[in-house]
Amino acid sequence: MSKKQIVDKKKYILCSNPPSPPFSKGGMGGLLLYALCYLLLATCFILFASSVDARVKGRCKDCHSMHYSYEGGEMTYGALAGPFPTLTEGGCLGCHGQAPYGTENIITIGKARIPQVLHHMENGDLAAGNFYYVADGYNPDYSKGHNLIGISLQENPPMDVPPGFMRSVVIPGGTGPADWPGQRQLTCAGTWGCHGDRTIEDPYKAIYGAHHTDDSEIDGLTVGKSYRFLYGIKGKEHKDWEYLATIDNHNGYKGDMAHSSMDTVSYLCGECHAKFHSHPNLGGIREVGQAYDTIWLRHPADISFDSIHSGYAGSEYQGYVRYSLEAPVAYSRPTGGEQVVDKDSIVMCLSCHRAHASPYPDMLRWDYNNMFVRNGLAGTGCLTCHTRKGHNQ
Amino acid sequence: MKKQLFILFLCIIFLCFLFFPLIPEGNGAIVSDECVACHGLYPGMEKAILLGNILCVNCHTNSDRETIKILGGVRVPIVYNTAPPVRPLAGGNFHYVAKDFGDRKGHNVDGVTSADEKFRGVPPGYDRTSDPSAIGYTPEKTLKCAGSNGCHGNRNIEDPFESISGTHHADDTPKDGSTTAKSYRFLRNAGKVKGVLGLEDDEWNRNNSSKKHNEYSPSIDLLCASCHGDFHSKDKTGKARPWFRHPTDIVLPKSGEYANYNPDFLPLDMPDIRIYNPDAPVGRGKVPELPGGEVTLGEDIVICLSCHVAHSSPYASILRWDYDAIIAGEEGKGGCFICHTGKGE
Repeated sequence: MSKKQIVDKKKYILCSNPPSPPFSKGGMGGLLLYALCYLLLATCFILFASSVDARVKGRCKDCHSMHYSYEGGEMTYGALAGPFPTLTEGGCLGCHGQAPYGTENIITIGKARIPQVLHHMENGDLAAGNFYYVADGYNPDYSKGHNLIGISLQENPPMDVPPGFMRSVVIPGGTGPADWPGQRQLTCAGTWGCHGDRTIEDPYKAIYGAHHTDDSEIDGLTVGKSYRFLYGIKGKEHKDWEYLATIDNHNGYKGDMAHSSMDTVSYLCGECHAKFHSHPNLGGIREVGQAYDTIWLRHPADISFDSIHSGYAGSEYQGYVRYSLEAPVAYSRPTGGEQVVDKDSIVMCLSCHRAHASPYPDMLRWDYNNMFVRNGLAGTGCLTCHTRKGHNQ
Repeated sequence: MKKQLFILFLCIIFLCFLFFPLIPEGNGAIVSDECVACHGLYPGMEKAILLGNILCVNCHTNSDRETIKILGGVRVPIVYNTAPPVRPLAGGNFHYVAKDFGDRKGHNVDGVTSADEKFRGVPPGYDRTSDPSAIGYTPEKTLKCAGSNGCHGNRNIEDPFESISGTHHADDTPKDGSTTAKSYRFLRNAGKVKGVLGLEDDEWNRNNSSKKHNEYSPSIDLLCASCHGDFHSKDKTGKARPWFRHPTDIVLPKSGEYANYNPDFLPLDMPDIRIYNPDAPVGRGKVPELPGGEVTLGEDIVICLSCHVAHSSPYASILRWDYDAIIAGEEGKGGCFICHTGKGE
């Protein structure tokens, strides 16, 4: 560098701002921009994570056949023959149980991702379980799940009526059935099912339009805006129906620590199994027992750990601190991202059971026959909550 | 006497020339002008051949892309362009089912294309009890333009040409379905079922708009049902929600997603009135004397032709749109979403 150049450079440094360095060189502007980008990205993730729109996307033809006719013939779906209500290709099971022997728990057709309630994918059971365990033709064990019409035959008495059934209980939108005739088999939706508006008997009418409803907000006001189309129930829906869920990304179940509201998933169970729920509309104290009392008549649901008779402090439930996918708890305002279990966490029906079917009797999440007091494997099954029952002490 | 007869003949000819030009082109389907334009296509041919289905096809075919051609001074609607049509008419265009375009895009009419390989001549959903024709559809024979194995003409007559014989020259008003000529587009159907009613656009919908178009009545559904009865019968479609097959011949509801029919053009302050969309037309309980630009919710009627065209379309199942491209939940427009406005969002 010549003397003149050095002088010019000094002069330049003294008299004017230097040019901004490129981003790759880590200038202040680049740093700020990167920070802004990351901030935006994080915001996007937070926003998307909290507003998963489960409204069906995809080609009409992937789910519907206008005239139950194709290439001059009638369309059949496995053993199912139609025509099918709401022009569906095989009814509920035509979409959600379309490959019983298949190994996909979520089938993608076009842009539509369809959770399968009946499949044969190893370790692929979704949150509600898998009807495979009770499906006729697949070595069923009826004690392991709900006997849904189209999948299983009707149960023999007395299991042809929902255990704990009570007449005309209050349900969202009206009252439940005044009677449950033994020959009345369970349907996916409607009065004799779980999904949709249970004041409407026809399963398809009961759930009509729900799949096309904007359900980015689950407020329980309509079927489409109810958790998993369970009318009136609130919650946070995991986008993959809990396939490969983690303890910070799972279904968010709505509970009520005072078992006094109708928008909890346990209340939905109680609509048919009323005697197992403490809500005054259902079995109430008389059938289940009373919070803060010493003796439960039946295992409570919709009760927080803080509500036990001897108090949360010092109880065995304090040992359950980290969310367990095996024995999940409900929350008053679920987000699906809770990792911490504390005194306000709520025991629910689904803490122990699956909704559809499981590999275990009573649709339990674990094998009750292998639950041992003392020497039990801590943090599993019943012992997830009952942390002291398994201790060898 | 011979001289008088000759003078009388000349007078008739004179009167013919005097009055025929007064008949406005296209208003009514009475064909006039040069006989030879239609009847002299095959000089020397036997009558039996001359009057076959092929004559219908040939008169109503064009080798270029225009869908209305002039034949002997008469405007002839084209149902089959061998070249891609510029503006297919209301019935669509057999161009799409001819040659290699595929059976699924149209009716396989004799003279245009060979019989459908999959249907093997059987109309999907055919139900003999829904077919008022005394003869009925005969799958062993090909689909014709008219007659018992076709759509036009009197379906109590098997021969396509006989079934429509004379209609092109008959008084065709009013369109009350009492005769073949007085049936909408010569769709007489058969038996006790009256002919199809409707208002015929003078350009066969070539330049249609919300205010200029054919007007349909649900009677056209009965014609479709003659061959596709399962798709119309209440026993097969269901009587109410939930439907088992897409309903037809049913009032467009004034509630729910249907209340926004043709959502791109929602008129203000007219709760039950929507703008007619020729891409998803409706039928009228009473055929109007002039085409209506409005659709009255709770009154106007979903018909087969709301979704399909009659002859052939560029799309599978003779639909008015590409069903494969109708995507729910992605803010799609048109097609199914003209009525099912809540599904596209």
